[in-house]
Amino acid sequence: MNARHAAAADPALSLKENQAFPGEWGEQWRAARRRIEQAGYGGAIAAAYRRHGVELALLASPQAALRLGRAVSELAIRAGRRAAAALPEAALAAAGKPAEQMVLTRWFELVELVARQAPESVPPLLEGTGKLLAILDGAGFEAFVRMGLAAGRGDPERRLRFFRREDDEARHFLDREAGMTDFLALEGRLKSYYTALWGLRPAIREVPREAPDHLRRRVGFGGGVVRVPAAFPGFSAEDSRNLYHAALAHVGAHHRFTKSPFPAGKLKPLQVAVISLIEDARVERLAMAELPGLAALWRPFHGARPGGAAIAVGLMARLARALVDGDYADPDGWVAKGRALFEEAFAADPADQDFSRRIGGLLGNDLGQMRLQFDAKTYVVQPAYRDDNLGIWDFADQEDQAAFEMEQMIETARIETEERDDGEPDRQEPDPDPQDEVNRVSLRAEEENGVLVARYAEFDHATGRERPEWCALREYAPKTASAASIARLLDERADLTQRLTALISASRISRQERVRRQTDGEFLDIDACIEASITRRMGQTPDPRVHGRYERRSRDLCVHLLIDVSRSTGENVSGAARTVLDIERHAAALMAQAMDGLGDPFAIAAFCSDTREDVRYLRVKDFAKPYDSAARARLAGLESGLSTRLGAAIRHAGADLRSQQTYRRLLLLITDGEPSDVDVDDGDYLVEDARAAVHALNRDGIDVFCIALDCDAESYAERIFGRRNVVAFSAIERLPEKLPALYLRLTA
Amino acid sequence: MTSMSGAEAIAAQTDYLAEFRIGSEPYYRPVGQEIALFDAAYQARMPIMLKGPTGCGKTRFVEHMAWRLKRPLITVSCHEDMTASDLVGRYLLDADGTVWHDGPLTLAVRLGAICYLDEIVEARQDTTVVIHSLTDDRRILPLEKKNEVLPAHPDFQVVISYNPGYQSVLKDLKESTKQRFGAIAFSYPEPAIEAEIVAREAGVERRIADTLVRIAQRSRNLKGHGLDEGASTRMLINAGLLAAKGIPLADACQVAMVLPITDDPELRDALTAAIAACM
Repeated sequence: MNARHAAAADPALSLKENQAFPGEWGEQWRAARRRIEQAGYGGAIAAAYRRHGVELALLASPQAALRLGRAVSELAIRAGRRAAAALPEAALAAAGKPAEQMVLTRWFELVELVARQAPESVPPLLEGTGKLLAILDGAGFEAFVRMGLAAGRGDPERRLRFFRREDDEARHFLDREAGMTDFLALEGRLKSYYTALWGLRPAIREVPREAPDHLRRRVGFGGGVVRVPAAFPGFSAEDSRNLYHAALAHVGAHHRFTKSPFPAGKLKPLQVAVISLIEDARVERLAMAELPGLAALWRPFHGARPGGAAIAVGLMARLARALVDGDYADPDGWVAKGRALFEEAFAADPADQDFSRRIGGLLGNDLGQMRLQFDAKTYVVQPAYRDDNLGIWDFADQEDQAAFEMEQMIETARIETEERDDGEPDRQEPDPDPQDEVNRVSLRAEEENGVLVARYAEFDHATGRERPEWCALREYAPKTASAASIARLLDERADLTQRLTALISASRISRQERVRRQTDGEFLDIDACIEASITRRMGQTPDPRVHGRYERRSRDLCVHLLIDVSRSTGENVSGAARTVLDIERHAAALMAQAMDGLGDPFAIAAFCSDTREDVRYLRVKDFAKPYDSAARARLAGLESGLSTRLGAAIRHAGADLRSQQTYRRLLLLITDGEPSDVDVDDGDYLVEDARAAVHALNRDGIDVFCIALDCDAESYAERIFGRRNVVAFSAIERLPEKLPALYLRLTA
Repeated sequence: MTSMSGAEAIAAQTDYLAEFRIGSEPYYRPVGQEIALFDAAYQARMPIMLKGPTGCGKTRFVEHMAWRLKRPLITVSCHEDMTASDLVGRYLLDADGTVWHDGPLTLAVRLGAICYLDEIVEARQDTTVVIHSLTDDRRILPLEKKNEVLPAHPDFQVVISYNPGYQSVLKDLKESTKQRFGAIAFSYPEPAIEAEIVAREAGVERRIADTLVRIAQRSRNLKGHGLDEGASTRMLINAGLLAAKGIPLADACQVAMVLPITDDPELRDALTAAIAACM
């Protein structure tokens, strides 16, 4: 026993170990090994550590191997033996990536973080390390891990799914990272590209995450919406870019040249696929006649060659190429037949889309008789830029799975704010555009839970990255109360209303203008000078107003008032019978009254939140709408509740302000406490996110100003908005009186 | 007050006016009825407003018509700081005292030229009202400072150009100004005609001109979707001129169209991709 213990305590190092741990490292390695072996974790862990530790030392450094020892202990205690045994190999995978020491250190810390907060998720994370790091860099890996912990907060099942990469959000994130050039990065230019080419502007949207896999791999269209995959995994950045462009050019060709959808009738899936292929070729041929450069865009994606297994999909890809690429030679009889038929029909009447149906049907039959395998379930259109072809078929009279799925898609398609006019909620003024019919139907269904209008990214200060589409912003119809109560509120302090109006009307916010013929000023008014000179020579008294100056004379600003209605605003102000929300309401009413009288465009909205999936936004008054009794009633009806997820609300209000054309644009936020939400523990997280949102607005020339009804507002408000852009009140009830002075400061 | 007698001044100015006469025919490719319409309007001395996007040939058309009608053409480019004196004229100082100096509008009124006020909405509204008395049946120009009422020369006509695309609420003509004018609408010509114009003006092959016109149509699709205005015929001619000097067409389009037309990098990318699709 003693002898064995002595041997274990002081084992001789192998040749490899000596190589890996030269000099003094040898002793430390021995000690680390001993700790693991004697800790009673079991032989498997000790063996794994010994074997992979050495390799890790060779691959990275002796320190890394020692660090691994500490991590193994930590995992064994917190996440169990299985996780601890898997760690050494995963560490090797992490180190195998051409990454520097720092990344590996961080990796250990992250794994330990997961072991502490989500021990059940450690094994899937370790197993996936190799694959994850093939896609993600160090920072991306950290962002992934933190997203997983945040997404599955208090829900181990969800976390497991996330770290197994089965969760939609995880898959979505990885898709984006893998594709490098994803749709989000290209969205703006793709929309413009589509419009430039075809003169149409359909809604172009990312395929929803919850869509079935085959719909997420190809572009598709229907119902006035073009659906685009979040990313094309497996293509380089350059290729992805071209692929998106090629795909949209192709969809546009359908929009332009496929005049009516083909009735699917009783056609077999193979026939549908072949007819689609012919129609694809037909519209592309027509498009290329108009825009010859498209050939160079499409052709590189046709990689099919003669040879290979005799399966239907292979032959179809070859036919597709043969029809697009005139130089392509293919010995196959079926391909040659298809080509001859197509050329003959196309020469006769290229605008006749029925020939696609005719030829496609024939060729489909031929394929069927050749008894070639075709699996409609796994079939994905080739090449990758072509759409899934659901858009050119009319499955109306049958319960076709595909048609059903497409409807589902559109139902669930995201409703984006930019597709609406001037930020009007759809439910108030339904867009008469029939293309939006489908959206409206689903909107009504969602009325109860608010209307999902946008998803906003959130900034994670720990990783310095955005979590894409993290917050779901939903617009709710505000409750209404008697509009007269607002009028009473203003009547009580009529003096205040008057003072504020006077002040606002006096402040001049606009572009500079040149004012001539002044008695003093910064430049000489040449016309006036000449006249004065002339008058003098004529022996008369000259007009002394010979100067000019630059002045801001007219008003040109708009204000967006954003009111925090989180639960804390329902508390009574100390020593008064009124709640914080009452004070906010009074202040908003004052401002609204003054601005309305002056004709300055303004909007009022309120917000609160209940986790990232439900950031609530209540429109009290929009820029384009009058400040009428309905708006007053909505203002009167605001109620307190839930939490304060500031960043998403600021982003949404900013989207409205961005569309305003005035010289100065101001977002004025009234809040009573620091941002918080029930699904966030990290106190700094939402503060930093709000700060990022404010910066984004500032970059667009929008000023953001905060009125903090909170004595220790300095702590967070100044961090978010900057010291100059915050006014903190401890004596809340005096806010209405202070507003005029505040306003002066804002517009100075 | 004046140093010259009226007759001397007129003689001097008649010489001066020679510079405003158009010697050789400016190239203009009619796309519709515009020449006949303008002709008829001129016979009635009706003030005419040329409406249309920038670079579609409004100015060239006026030059062509001035040549055709054998009238001198006085062009004033309007701007925000322009005053009524800049149009009508003012007293200037010289060694002996003051001398009246006719503005371009007065010159045209006195001697019977076509006065072309380019981009009139750029001028302030209180400036443009000086043309009111000239554009109704009075046809007079009061010179307040000179205490003179100048009746218009029988050949005098006012033409203004007006780009409806970019006026804002602040920059629009007064209703009372608008309603004095007849209007001829201009737009970019049909593709075939536009290609003909580009080929001739830029001296490029028809094939290249056709491609340029195709490109222009792509950019015009973006009007209102990021671009305030699509690429004009003038831009196409510029691109063609570069191409005629041996610059590859894609580069020529970058220089003459994509870069000038927008500062938005996304839009530039989209346009560049669309241009590639046209070639």
